[in-house]
Amino acid sequence: MSEGTISITEQKDFVVSSSSLKEVRSFSRKVFEKLDINQDLKDELVLAIAEAAQNIVKHAYKGQDTEDKMEIKISLDKGQLEIGFFDKGRPVDKENIRHRNIDDIKPGGLGTYFIQQIMDAVVFKEGEKPWINHLILTKNLNF
Amino acid sequence: MSYKVTEEGNISTVHLNGEIDMDVTEKAKEIIMPLIEAKKEVHLNLKDVQYMDSSGISVLIESHQKATELGTKVILKEISKSVLKVIMMAKLEQILNLD
Repeated sequence: MSEGTISITEQKDFVVSSSSLKEVRSFSRKVFEKLDINQDLKDELVLAIAEAAQNIVKHAYKGQDTEDKMEIKISLDKGQLEIGFFDKGRPVDKENIRHRNIDDIKPGGLGTYFIQQIMDAVVFKEGEKPWINHLILTKNLNF
Repeated sequence: MSYKVTEEGNISTVHLNGEIDMDVTEKAKEIIMPLIEAKKEVHLNLKDVQYMDSSGISVLIESHQKATELGTKVILKEISKSVLKVIMMAKLEQILNLD
């Protein structure tokens, strides 16, 4: 299956809130509907995006109420899927981004593990103004 | 997320419906934890849960651990394909009680 001929760029802003996560999934599902990839992969990609958005709510904003928005940008070019997340929360300390040991069974710490399982690469960058954080998830869909 | 609780003897069955994410985990815990604290055997019917993220998985782990601590158990019933996939991604299929 190849997505090499399809080119997509879609972006949307969401209020940084747990109540936006449903809307984030809905946006992601609509974008992935356009791709000829199997449903399991679509579901995984939606989960990865929702987990990353949840991390912004939980960690960059510590779950505090805000009117700030985060931006999610989904791009596909020559089969390379890139999902960008932009937020204005607390700067992410890259050294602290790690999932818990998967064999240490306790609530929490799984979101980052899921993202890493699903995506090929996870890169944190300093955001260009007005953004503070820029997270990039990538996956090669040429298979 | 919506839910329904049915009781039969010492077994409480919680039928969850919809999508379980960070936005509804507190509500899910408010439903499940008192049943565990009352030392009921809790059956979570996940047939109609179409989506669960890491927050939902955390509720399953917390429920399982609380039940074990109190000498009862939580059994996951009729797990939907999408939820089972996430449970397996978290490598919890041997830890949680799956039926």
